Amino acid sequence: MKNIGHKIVFLSFFVLILVQANAQRFPKPEFESGYEQPSPTTPEPRSNALEYLDVLILFASLSLASWLVIKRRSRRGVLWLSIFTLLYFGFYREGCICSVGSIQNITLALFDPVYKISITVLIFFLLPLVFALFFGRTFCAGACPLGAIQDILVFRPVSIPVWVRKALGFIPYLYLGLAVLYAATGTDFIICRYDPFVGFFRMDGPYTMIIIGIALLLLGLFFARPYCRVFCPYGVLLNWMSRFSKYHMTITPAECISCKLCEPSCPFDAIEIPVSEKVRTQKVLRQNLKRFSLYALLIPVWMFIGGYAVSSSHVLLSKAHQDVYLSELLIAHPELKSDTKNLDIKAFLESGKTFDELVANASLIRAKFKSGGWFLGGFLGLVIGIMIMNQFVFRTKTIYEPHKGDCFSCGRCMDYCPVVKLK
Amino acid sequence: MNQETKLKLLKQIILISAAFCILVAFLLIVNFWQMKKSNPLESQTIEALVQRLAVDDNNEELRKEIRSFDLLARKAYFTSAWQVKTGAYLLFFGGVVLALALKIRTDIQRKIEPPETITDDPMMNKFVSHRWLLVTGGLVFTLALLSAFLSNDYLKSYDPGQFVDTETSSQTETIEVIPIVESVATEKGDSAILSNAVEPVPQAVAETGGAPDTPKTVVKLAKAEDFKKNQSTFRGFLGQGISFHKNIPTNWDGSSGTNVKWKISLSKPGYNTPVIWGDKLFIAGADKTSRVVSCYNRHTGKLLWEKEADNIPGSPATPPKTTDDTGLAAPTMTVDGNCVYALFGTGDLIAFDLDGNRIWAKNLGVPANHYGHSSSLITWNGKIVVQYDTAKGGRMIAINTANGDFIWDIPRANKVSWSSPTLLESKGKMLIITSADPNVIANDLETGAEVWKSPVMSGEVAPSPGVFNNIIFVSNEYAKTVALDAENGGKVIWETDEYLSEVASPVAINGLLFLATSYGVLVCYDAMTGENVWEKEFSSGFYSSPMIAENKVYIIDMSGVMHIIKADRTGTIVKEPELGEAAFALPVFADGKIYLRGKSSLYCIGE
Amino acid sequence: MAEDKIIKRREFIHTGVRFALGISLAGIGVAAARKTTAEKWVWQIDPAKCTQCGRCATDCVKSPSAVKCIHAYEVCGYCDLCGGYFKPGVKKMETGGENHLCPTAAIQRKFIEEPYFEYVIIEELCIGCAKCVKGCSSFGNGSLHLQIRHNLCDNCNECAIARVCPSDAISRVPASQPYIIKGDFHGGTKA
Repeated sequence: MKNIGHKIVFLSFFVLILVQANAQRFPKPEFESGYEQPSPTTPEPRSNALEYLDVLILFASLSLASWLVIKRRSRRGVLWLSIFTLLYFGFYREGCICSVGSIQNITLALFDPVYKISITVLIFFLLPLVFALFFGRTFCAGACPLGAIQDILVFRPVSIPVWVRKALGFIPYLYLGLAVLYAATGTDFIICRYDPFVGFFRMDGPYTMIIIGIALLLLGLFFARPYCRVFCPYGVLLNWMSRFSKYHMTITPAECISCKLCEPSCPFDAIEIPVSEKVRTQKVLRQNLKRFSLYALLIPVWMFIGGYAVSSSHVLLSKAHQDVYLSELLIAHPELKSDTKNLDIKAFLESGKTFDELVANASLIRAKFKSGGWFLGGFLGLVIGIMIMNQFVFRTKTIYEPHKGDCFSCGRCMDYCPVVKLK
Repeated sequence: MNQETKLKLLKQIILISAAFCILVAFLLIVNFWQMKKSNPLESQTIEALVQRLAVDDNNEELRKEIRSFDLLARKAYFTSAWQVKTGAYLLFFGGVVLALALKIRTDIQRKIEPPETITDDPMMNKFVSHRWLLVTGGLVFTLALLSAFLSNDYLKSYDPGQFVDTETSSQTETIEVIPIVESVATEKGDSAILSNAVEPVPQAVAETGGAPDTPKTVVKLAKAEDFKKNQSTFRGFLGQGISFHKNIPTNWDGSSGTNVKWKISLSKPGYNTPVIWGDKLFIAGADKTSRVVSCYNRHTGKLLWEKEADNIPGSPATPPKTTDDTGLAAPTMTVDGNCVYALFGTGDLIAFDLDGNRIWAKNLGVPANHYGHSSSLITWNGKIVVQYDTAKGGRMIAINTANGDFIWDIPRANKVSWSSPTLLESKGKMLIITSADPNVIANDLETGAEVWKSPVMSGEVAPSPGVFNNIIFVSNEYAKTVALDAENGGKVIWETDEYLSEVASPVAINGLLFLATSYGVLVCYDAMTGENVWEKEFSSGFYSSPMIAENKVYIIDMSGVMHIIKADRTGTIVKEPELGEAAFALPVFADGKIYLRGKSSLYCIGE
Repeated sequence: MAEDKIIKRREFIHTGVRFALGISLAGIGVAAARKTTAEKWVWQIDPAKCTQCGRCATDCVKSPSAVKCIHAYEVCGYCDLCGGYFKPGVKKMETGGENHLCPTAAIQRKFIEEPYFEYVIIEELCIGCAKCVKGCSSFGNGSLHLQIRHNLCDNCNECAIARVCPSDAISRVPASQPYIIKGDFHGGTKA
């Protein structure tokens, strides 16, 4: 009997070993009924070829938009193109990937040594900028689904006072700077997170997103293209490119006769009206020059103040990072450790990572924010300094022209021009 | 259709589509609100009903009710999902119609207005703008600065010791009483290995990674003689439970202070037994906040140093949960003349030199052990042996004493255990004998290779193996007591289930095996046959193991009474002195002295 | 002609700046191009890291979530008492609503032979709540686990679940190896 007992112990030990080898508590049975084990299905992701098709369509719509607005001068064409863009890049492709968001991928790729991007993302980032460098912001007119959904819903645009526009014009720089900072530190993709319209494209989304989206669209009935003008970070880059574009669209196909008819046509207040000599007197000119020089000299001061201010706000800014948030939460409220309802804390404790490691990482991130804050603040200081300085630059001009930086090349103004180009 | 009717029609379309959109939006919001308020999939009702069914299992009515509730809940969920989807589409098409109609209407109504005379003064505009830009820039940067003042950088206020449980940990201190070892020379003392181990190994160079100011020194390995002179390990020389010291006291009284040379109270709890090297005595303690190693002058009781085992890479932020009868400092340390090595329930293994300089430290991985890790360390020939039987992935580990590197690290098929390794020289090899469920295993100390194993154990094994000549004795409660032949692949020589030890480890000398149970029986078996020679029952049970010193068994029971009995076939009780407090650690012997760890104090006894 | 001169100078500056901008764009392009791959990247859950917190069901931009439970049959023990199918402490192993763990009854239990049962996930019903995954990992082999289904996933630029995943189980994987399925799995029927 003893021997049998031993054998059983030994056998069960053997089974134990087998189970451990397979890391399975219950080994797969050997079926006698001829049952065939199914295999889990693995539906393929959207094929890579289709991604290249997206690039192709982007290129085609950019070319078409440029052609329509510069050569063909057809507002109607641009409108139909933007409807197509809205349907394809918006509702069909559901808003991802878009050029606006690609800023973050590029930034992260430049800062994170292991982050890889696919070539299509890079093309999505570069192509509209290259086009803007030659043809102006035709991307905004015909190839951006976010622009298209707002452009279609421009109902009764009102003219916004210059000072409001200028002051609000600082926000995109701020947004761009923060987006780059957050992407570079690997914290978050805030452009994607706060994209207001992607919820419509997916016909689904968090309620806050939908509500902000609806609010922006309603605002857009009167304040045309609010997202593009007040928030869009990619617009900043397009703006720079477009200012120096080679073949920007013009209101008139030939010589401007200053008939003023186009003046109310632009919903985005992007038409610059002629400035006559008579507004300036010698005295005013001297005063302006003095102010201009003063503000030019103040730019480094702005940059320093900005750098210092933003860098010192690194504590707040870095709280968005998960590790920083979690370490601070646990340091401030050590009693939360035993809170089993807090999934983040629970998962951290289960992960086996030590708290020292977490805090060390959080401190590293925070240090990155501190140094990154100097760059961001310096950049913002530079921007605001130049913007202020520019308020004392006057150029005489005699014709109606779109502001090359602000103009979305939508082509509305062209329909208002009575001038016909003679062949 | 004339302009007039067109406009009228458009106006109606606009009104209807706008009303439609608003209605759909309203319905969607209601749906959202409902789902938010009570998600049908997380219905409390069903949960409550299921709980009732668990009690009242045969209630078919109830079962039916649950099923219909469940069906309703799922229906509600999927209907609502369908409603959202459909609503979104309806809203979309409504919006498209509305937008189109509005567009056409504005296009029709649009008139070219006569150009206004420009009243704006561009210069004035720019001047106002510059002011507002100043305000904007100032505002943004001021807000940024303000945030710096308002936000608190908690990371700066972090101190590494902070993240430990501040919950009240029951301050139980555990004491293992070390029995006195008789100076009985075994044959093993003359064996080749034991004398070989004596030679200094030149390759062992102490690395000073952890403490930059510690000079690099060539480590001389301690000789077998030194290990015999000092009770430096759990259960003494080779972990066999036999002491070679002389003039061991037999009479004392802890409460009145008779023969108590000194007594100190311990700062932190722990069940480990103190270890001795030369004039120094080392003891470990731990609670949830910290883990410390303390060093005392064993003649005076003066604290020489006390060091924390902290900042160890891989050490868990929260110590693993342990029960109060195990704690985080259950494993006994080991000392080899160069360093004292301590293992804690967190898996932290740390080496301090005898002056308290930290030499190296590492974490072996947090042990998955439902009571807490308790297997003690033992060192021989430049290696620290760790029996690391955890609930998942048990291992046997040998670590280089000089630098903490793994010499070998082999997986084990055993379940979690609480016993400690015993060393035994057999056939020219130093074997590590370990007992756990299901195998008693002998590993070669040099290579870690498994020499033999014997699947005779079961349950939650805590007693460590005892040794006499080449016979191994293992025991566990609810299993059996077995004698195995170490020379012969661990063959069973005899076995019994008459008396089984729960915690105390068996010890053998003079052809006799002594076994102590947790319910107070001390039994003496013939080591060769398993015949019951004598048995004695005491009023208190044993967690501390018997030790042999000067041919007497020293065993302290849980109430603190030391039973001193002649280690022969008569079993004459020599004396039963009292410590006056509970004791769990083993007695530690030195010439003319016994050191006893009580629940909260450390005693030095000497006549 | 001072006017002409001014215009010419302005044009010259514009061309210069345009070149500078073009070159900096090219610079960014080249720098980023070194990190590009022809491969597409998709999001996927590493079942070894997943702690079944349940956020996959609530935080995906899609509703229901693009995360579904899948069954790695290779690892399944075909248990009668399945920890993923039954609520804990179930007494009678019946398929009634009082017993299933799955809130949407998306697991189908089929008898194969004594004493083995096959469990199939009905994907249309699954909401990715991971309740069954938790049950299966705690009491069974862990053959039920979550995966992002690429026919449903929008492949957002930044996955909304990855952002909130407490155990960092979601990361980008090459589109050629889009699934991390437990067991010895090298492909399967494409659906």
